[in-house]
Amino acid sequence: MAMDAQVKALLNDVLQLGGRASEWNDSTPLLGSVPELDSMAVVGIITAMEEEFGFSIADDEISADVFATLGSLTRFVEQKLAA
Amino acid sequence: MNASGLEAFFLPAEPGTRFALFYPAQQVKPRGGVLYVHPFAEEMNKSRRMAALQARAFAAAGYSVLQIDLYGCGDSAGDFGDARWDIWHRDLALAADWLANRVAAPVHLWGLRLGATLALDCWRVQPDRFTSALLWQPVANGEAFATQFLRLAVAGDALREGGGGVTTDSLRRRLSGGESIEVAGYTLAPALLSDIDKLRLSDYTLTGAPMHWLEVRGGTATGPSTAAQRVITDWQAKGMNATIEAVNGDSFWATQEIVDAPALVQASMRCYERLVQ
Repeated sequence: MAMDAQVKALLNDVLQLGGRASEWNDSTPLLGSVPELDSMAVVGIITAMEEEFGFSIADDEISADVFATLGSLTRFVEQKLAA
Repeated sequence: MNASGLEAFFLPAEPGTRFALFYPAQQVKPRGGVLYVHPFAEEMNKSRRMAALQARAFAAAGYSVLQIDLYGCGDSAGDFGDARWDIWHRDLALAADWLANRVAAPVHLWGLRLGATLALDCWRVQPDRFTSALLWQPVANGEAFATQFLRLAVAGDALREGGGGVTTDSLRRRLSGGESIEVAGYTLAPALLSDIDKLRLSDYTLTGAPMHWLEVRGGTATGPSTAAQRVITDWQAKGMNATIEAVNGDSFWATQEIVDAPALVQASMRCYERLVQ
């Protein structure tokens, strides 16, 4: 599965989007546009990403920029996996 | 009182009163009493529905269930910021006494997340009070759990306009300086954090009575997680009567929408048929 599809599947699961994320693309805005995305959801996504991809995310890596769009979140996962 | 006999009342406690729900067994002579221990902070609200579904299933199978809101939680007296681990211990002892008196049958523990850990912590201190424990996704490591909770404040800050810079380390420094901090709308006191930090399930020794650990796993995961299995292995090496089972479902205590995990209720009822005679 391509990385963006994996991230979309994870968002669908964690946020219970009922598959809505499958329709999204790199430029789809997340923070401020997806009502389900509050701080509890962000922590849920971070925890799920750590479990799913096996990396750990430091506090100072959590920023609004990472959660700006589907593309920015996908790039973040790619960078973490490449590190 | 409604058709199922559900009773809502306030249990006198110290300080103040505790909101309680009692689900009487749907038979004349209850097979036992089950004391439910709810999880921490927002997880408690998210899991109300599943707690009610399971309580009804227990009642239908002949068990009377008592659920209380711990001090500073839900509809009970006190503010969350005043809640302390030892007050919660006393709340459970009080609730167990009430339940034992009411059902005149053995009292079993059932807890979710930090509530499951609190249940075992109470059982450890008072081994004769309870007959078995059903552990739904217990918190195995209090410090890791506390850090996850503090992360809510980190995320809240990072997502705020002009935010950033708050870390779990900086929050812990403020707490160890004696300051209470606010995390996702909950005031966390240093004393409560420090008691939660100390919790390690693998350190517990409770021989004799059975306990069953149920883990909810999503997606394609099969079998218990490595972390949970490690605790069970440690427990069994000490001669504890502990078993574990993973069921498929959503993490209903943390999901955005309120969801059910029906496989968890089914597994819990199977567990009672087996463990609780």
